[in-house]
Amino acid sequence: MSFLITCPTCGPRKGYEFRYGGEDKGPRPDEAGLTPEEWVEYVHMNRCVAGVSKEWWFHRDGCSAWFTIWRDTRTNLQVQVSNDGPEEQS
Amino acid sequence: MTRLSELPTLRIDPYEELRFEYDGRPLTGVAGDSVATAMFASGVRVFSRSLKYHRPRGLYSLDGECANAMMAVDGVPNAAAETTPLAAGMRVGPQNVRGSADHDRLGFLDMFDWAMPAGFYYRLMHKPAAMWPIAAEQIRKMAGLGEMEPDHRTVGRYTETYLNAEVCVVGGGPAGMRAALAAAQYGARVVLLERRPWLGGSFEHRLRSLDDGTPAYQRARDLAAAVKAADNIRVFARTALIGTYNDNLITAVQRGANGDDFDERYVEIRAASIVVATGCIERPLLFENNERPGVMQIGCAHRLAHTYGLLPGRTAVFSVGSDGGLECAADLADHGVAITCVADCRPEGHDPELVEALRQRNVPFLAGWVATAAHGRKKVRGVSLTALDGTGTRDDSCDVLVASAGRTPLAGPVTMAQGKLAYDSHTGCFLPASLPARLHVAGRLTGLEDPAAIETSGHGAGLAAAADCGRAVETELRECDERLGQLPGPAAGSGLVRSPTHGRKAFVCFDEDATVKNVRQAIDQGFDVPELIKRFASVGTGPGQGGLPGHNLPMLVAELRGMPPESASPTTMRAPMVPVSMATLAGSSHDMCKRTPVHDSQKLPGAIMRRIGAWRRVRYFSDDLLCRAEVRNVRTNVGMLDGSSLGKFRLWGPDALNALQRIYVSDMAKLRPGRVKYSAMCNDDGCVVDDGIVIKRADNEYYLTTSSGRAGQTVEWFRYHTRYDGWDFKMVNLTDALGVINLSGPNARTVLERVADARVSNDAFPFSGYREFTLLGRVPARVMRLGFVGELSYELHVPSSYMRAVWDGVAAAGTDLGIANFGVEAQNIMRMEKGHLIVGSESEQRTTLNDLGLGFLWSRNKPEARTVGSVALAQTLEQPDRLKLVGFRMDDPEHTPRDGSIVVDERIRGWVCVARNSDALSQAVGMALVDEPLSGEGTTLQIYEDGCGGNLATARVVPMPFYDPGGARIRM
Repeated sequence: MSFLITCPTCGPRKGYEFRYGGEDKGPRPDEAGLTPEEWVEYVHMNRCVAGVSKEWWFHRDGCSAWFTIWRDTRTNLQVQVSNDGPEEQS
Repeated sequence: MTRLSELPTLRIDPYEELRFEYDGRPLTGVAGDSVATAMFASGVRVFSRSLKYHRPRGLYSLDGECANAMMAVDGVPNAAAETTPLAAGMRVGPQNVRGSADHDRLGFLDMFDWAMPAGFYYRLMHKPAAMWPIAAEQIRKMAGLGEMEPDHRTVGRYTETYLNAEVCVVGGGPAGMRAALAAAQYGARVVLLERRPWLGGSFEHRLRSLDDGTPAYQRARDLAAAVKAADNIRVFARTALIGTYNDNLITAVQRGANGDDFDERYVEIRAASIVVATGCIERPLLFENNERPGVMQIGCAHRLAHTYGLLPGRTAVFSVGSDGGLECAADLADHGVAITCVADCRPEGHDPELVEALRQRNVPFLAGWVATAAHGRKKVRGVSLTALDGTGTRDDSCDVLVASAGRTPLAGPVTMAQGKLAYDSHTGCFLPASLPARLHVAGRLTGLEDPAAIETSGHGAGLAAAADCGRAVETELRECDERLGQLPGPAAGSGLVRSPTHGRKAFVCFDEDATVKNVRQAIDQGFDVPELIKRFASVGTGPGQGGLPGHNLPMLVAELRGMPPESASPTTMRAPMVPVSMATLAGSSHDMCKRTPVHDSQKLPGAIMRRIGAWRRVRYFSDDLLCRAEVRNVRTNVGMLDGSSLGKFRLWGPDALNALQRIYVSDMAKLRPGRVKYSAMCNDDGCVVDDGIVIKRADNEYYLTTSSGRAGQTVEWFRYHTRYDGWDFKMVNLTDALGVINLSGPNARTVLERVADARVSNDAFPFSGYREFTLLGRVPARVMRLGFVGELSYELHVPSSYMRAVWDGVAAAGTDLGIANFGVEAQNIMRMEKGHLIVGSESEQRTTLNDLGLGFLWSRNKPEARTVGSVALAQTLEQPDRLKLVGFRMDDPEHTPRDGSIVVDERIRGWVCVARNSDALSQAVGMALVDEPLSGEGTTLQIYEDGCGGNLATARVVPMPFYDPGGARIRM
């Protein structure tokens, strides 16, 4: 958690100020006809990529906002995403 | 031992004596000594015994790079004597010895090295399995470092500091100082870290003149003075780097000096740019007995003389691989040490000036020669040398053998920040090959040896760091690069790792007693890469953190496996780079707790306060831990409790109801103004995370309470589970803005009538009602009628700023009735008697709403809300074999099992959540989570407690609530 996270409200802050909220998996599925397998897939299963991952973070010691960032799980650095694809933010 | 007292490089005051004690003997050092140099000055040569073989070990590096000079200092084990400043009255003792370091009764183990091959403790002592516990105990007794008394308490001031710097320079040598000055010259705020007590690095102790005629030590002092004079450079001396991390985070540990308000402190720095100028350490030459006391590094011998005024011995042999060794030999010859010969493993490429200096001093210089074995039992008595081309051998006697194969750049700070190293055949070193963003390297770390080049590279790195901070440095940086290009580049170094030797005791890692032979054994067993061999043969896993073997291990493995040196890669460096005491990591103790607005009014005589979550609250108001008087007063009269820690929230906006429907399991559309609604929150597994009250104050305007421990996460929880919806609602945490008084007991209404500016009769304000009115004529209050403790009960929520006045007013209004405080434990007993649960006490991570018997709270008629937990609740509804919450009564009314005791039959079937001796019921009752088949009424539960000696207590499952099952008392 030594890395910096850029909060959309507060700017770059220490990783310690944030809580991780998991990979970005999209909105909650409709409940109708949902099987246990599909539900577990949504709640518990993750892609765990070795690479750039879009994920949720909460600015716990700051503005109390949930937001997404792109993080390279290999370097543990936040990357900025432009139309040309992710690039490392440093 | 007499000291050289006239050298300008000395850091000691030879005339100020300091007395200390070593192994019970009184010794004397001088001001400026380290513990190790003071011992050396007093004639101590054997400093410790090694980990496995109990071999004698002596002074080796002076920088704490190995465990050789680890001592117990004032009761603290594993203190690095080389870097611990001597203080008067210190008590110093040896470690890992039976007897003394000189005469260790376990010294015979050195002859049994054949019985301890690489990884022997993994392989040999597990068959039969019963042998391992015995073997482990014996190994622990014979091997290891210091011992600590179980009741040891570290005394001292341990603090921490968090710095903000634009540029952090690691290493206060010439390159680091020039970098700091260059960045500071452009206005950057600079922090400079130096592990030694003084700045100067490789120049600091050297008399040799630089190109302009200035002696190196003088140049170092001039630079240090310039650094000191710069306003925007802060120097942290005696500060060793622990680690570097992402986004330029640096951690370090600083030892305090006279005048500091700490003994040791943790330092953390976030910098916009980092310059690493950590220089080099020396790498050990691998030959037989290469760690005999008397064998030491060039820098150790050189600095013993120049920094501490101590001659390392009378007769010295050198076996080195760098120009620094020749310089040291010439200097020691000048100070009166007889230099028998200087062997240099480099056949050519020596500095001609230094070769000439040796010739003038009549010191035999043997180019292309190397030591193969040191002789002598406890100290070096002689050495065998051989020509690398096989043309000759010789034996010399000596009492000091200065041995070093070359330099190892201290690149840990670079690789920990995700930089990469590559083997460079010109220097024979692993040099930084790729760097992370905003991290620069300079000086000897990059292979440079020429003094002007070292300084210029530092200057350039400082400019580059200033550029990272937005300073315009282009012109000067370009000029600096051009100048550096004209200066000598990295100096050639020897690739030699191992001298041609065939013995069994050439040590790759001193700390772990790992030899060349052990590395070969590991390879023979199939371990092919240094990372695996490091673990199996414990090379570089000791207190030195792999610094000394960091170069030799990968090169040796490549050599033994017949691979080219370029294929080698060093093992991963990890924090901590230096051993850090637990006291420093613990730091100063800040118990930051929250206090309620009426904290002081709770501190009555006899009150026992406890840390409960973030708060300090009164748990008991007397030393009766059953709280009988407190409970009785509430059950028969009236009591008041400070409940201000309760979580309190305002939730409003057009989508507020949507948010409530998503989070709470109940149907919040049915809320009616003036009524409270009890409900629960589940997680996506249907497990209960919190319960509380929701009140609708107006359309789109809600007030809700949560448990004290959950208040900090409630906003986060609401926002998380609505993050995709884009709903328009707002939430404010009012926990600290409002205080709460819980007024309970049959006489509660009488008291409330006296302070309320409204009618509060049972008709006007019935059970489950919610009212807003003023108290004491002016204080606005939100009042709800609840029954957590099972009696007529009101909860008064008032602004924190008025809380004290209201508390005193309520207390005064009840004085004639005998109103009294009750505490958290009394509340706990009463709510348990009433069968009310506390999330986290009667539930755990796996407990669903259905398990708790609260399934009735869950509304299945709002699938469009996609309520958190609803899917899992539906899917687990019929799941068998879940733990269910039950009430039980102990068969023995006098015996109460401790909370957390387990329910057993042939196996564990559940656990006791809470159990108390109930004064009101004259029974011992409680709640437990048990396997569903045991949850039927009348079932006997067997309860196992710690220390019960197999005598199980028995209890019977009974219906809840235990107290006032009809609920008449809360409605009275």
